Amino acid sequence: MTKILFTDKLHNCVEKWQSAGLTVIGPVQKANSSSYATVKNAGELDFNMVLPDRSIKELFFPQTEPILHYSIKKQEINTRESLPPNEPRIIFGARACDASGLAIDDPLFGWDYKDEYWFQRRNESVIVTIACTKADDFCMCTSLTLAPDSTKGSDVLLRPLENNKGWQVEELTERGREAFAKIADFLQESSEPAAPLAVVEEKFDLDSCVAWLKNPENFDSKFWKEISMRCIGCASCTFLCPTCHCFDIQDEGDTYSGIRRKNWDSCSFSLFTMHTSGHNPRSTQSARWRQRIMHKFNYFPGKFSVNSCSGCGRCSRQCPVDMGITETLQEISKLSQ
Amino acid sequence: MITQEQYRTRVKELLSSGTVKMVIGYKPGSTPDRRRPLFIRTAEEANRLVLDSACITNLSGYLVTEGLLSDEKKVAIFLRPEGIRSINILAAESQLNADQIIILGFDSTGSVVKTLDGTHAGDFSELLGSIKQNSPVKPSEVLFEQVEQMTPAERFAFWQEEFSRCIKCYACRQACPMCYCRRCIVDSNQPQWVNTSSHTLGNFEWNIVRAFHLAGRCVECGNCGRACPVNIPLRLINRRMAQEVIEAFDHFPGLNQTQEPVLASFKKDDSETFIL
Ligand code: SF4
Ligand code: SF4
Ligand code: SF4
Ligand code: SF4
Ligand code: SF4
Repeated sequence: MTKILFTDKLHNCVEKWQSAGLTVIGPVQKANSSSYATVKNAGELDFNMVLPDRSIKELFFPQTEPILHYSIKKQEINTRESLPPNEPRIIFGARACDASGLAIDDPLFGWDYKDEYWFQRRNESVIVTIACTKADDFCMCTSLTLAPDSTKGSDVLLRPLENNKGWQVEELTERGREAFAKIADFLQESSEPAAPLAVVEEKFDLDSCVAWLKNPENFDSKFWKEISMRCIGCASCTFLCPTCHCFDIQDEGDTYSGIRRKNWDSCSFSLFTMHTSGHNPRSTQSARWRQRIMHKFNYFPGKFSVNSCSGCGRCSRQCPVDMGITETLQEISKLSQ
Repeated sequence: MITQEQYRTRVKELLSSGTVKMVIGYKPGSTPDRRRPLFIRTAEEANRLVLDSACITNLSGYLVTEGLLSDEKKVAIFLRPEGIRSINILAAESQLNADQIIILGFDSTGSVVKTLDGTHAGDFSELLGSIKQNSPVKPSEVLFEQVEQMTPAERFAFWQEEFSRCIKCYACRQACPMCYCRRCIVDSNQPQWVNTSSHTLGNFEWNIVRAFHLAGRCVECGNCGRACPVNIPLRLINRRMAQEVIEAFDHFPGLNQTQEPVLASFKKDDSETFIL
């Protein structure tokens, strides 16, 4: 017997959570594009997509966020810090890759400076992950030592039932238990079997890729130029990536008053490393693409002992020129054999 | 498939004779319906090229990236008519020397691909002229019609909703052959003309800037809309602007290399009392 949440009770659960003061967020398909969005009721949630186009990252690290308001008068300068409003929330229907992505970024945001914006939202969010029963050609969690039912970063893991009428409930953290205690009335003990997980084949051998990247000789390999010739240097891959975390600080306003904001930035842009002198240490797109790969699979794990990729596949799925992490690592796998 | 073979043979000739230093074409992508840009330098690689109706990306933007043509050597490139128009505009705007470009022209109807006669941009003027004649006054798309029928307030709300999804990834810009500026106005910070933030206002600013800077230059190749990771229907904006430009100035961009850029030319006897 396992604890089951039946789909027909989801309406009640959403209402219950909302009346307990939680904002309910989940996968929503809207205007030809999908994301994790706030819903008014369970009917708005869409469990049919493989995964939302946009990653869970934006709920914790939005594309633009005010951090400071300033005003400057003749004799005084006033500043007011702006933290996100307190908003306890439950994210229902996260994917394992997205939840893992958050856990991957936790050490980064808490390393030399504790990013209050990130951690306030992390602490206020309950992440309920639904194990994947379907995947597409781009999914590659298994290549990154994860799986469609990884629990990393999740507070509760749900496994879809074979008959598609609900989910087996596995509470993983205290926060998860608390949230599910609120809906205990709507849960049932039952022995319904779980549906088989999505089959996600391993696409490359991660260890040999990492070893190749760590070899300093390969930094100047002509491979980088060849693999990235078609990259057009947009930020689609970095902005959709659940683990890419770079941002820029920008002041909006004038000399007298304005807002300092934290905006997504991307190493794919040539402006990312442009010096005031006009010199650009990463002056070619191949150097920028190398940075993206090196950062994810060499520098980041060097510092935090985990690769900065959860295998969601968005970088390849949405790339305008059909590039992405997958192809590059597959080619590196071949080179390192 | 005849076409693909014809072109592979031609590519082999071009490369082995040293006529061109590189050929830009297509190869299979990660799924059966995807094609990827391919750059080849030797005749042996020609068999990697594919040419079919799924080859839709306008590849001309690569010609003006990272100084590809600065050595004055020739490059051959697979182009649909829109791509050929892009070459004409790039040449008219002094971004490239069209003599350096050997065009492997093609087009498709349904799944049938046909070759286009000619090797240089100038050879296609008749074809492009007839495309202008036949270009639809109104597109057949339902959504376009719906947006046209809206009141200004409704239309504003429609675009507000669409642009709220924009993440300022600039994939639309990077994918566009006409967005070649080394420093885009939105990246300029001395002064900062446009907010970099991706809030609704910033997204509006960016998308309006894009629409205006492409007016009379866009060839409606669709690269931008296909690149947009959040599927904002940029084609509706492009279509509207193309229509405006043809109605106001009878300007169909990319007909030839001497066409004056519509938003960068000025006549003393202009009937308007101001210029933008
Ligand atoms: S890999 Fe693709 S998505 Fe990423 S910057 Fe290059 S073109 Fe854009
Ligand atoms: S690098 Fe690509 S596959 Fe990995 S987490 Fe980011 S978007 Fe997903
Ligand atoms: S890959 Fe690039 S954008 Fe992503 S976190 Fe690393 S440096 Fe930043
Ligand atoms: S604006 Fe879009 S459709 Fe027009 S030329 Fe540029 S990429 Fe093509
Ligand atoms: S591609 Fe789409 S999301 Fe990216 S900047 Fe352009 S309109 Fe915005």
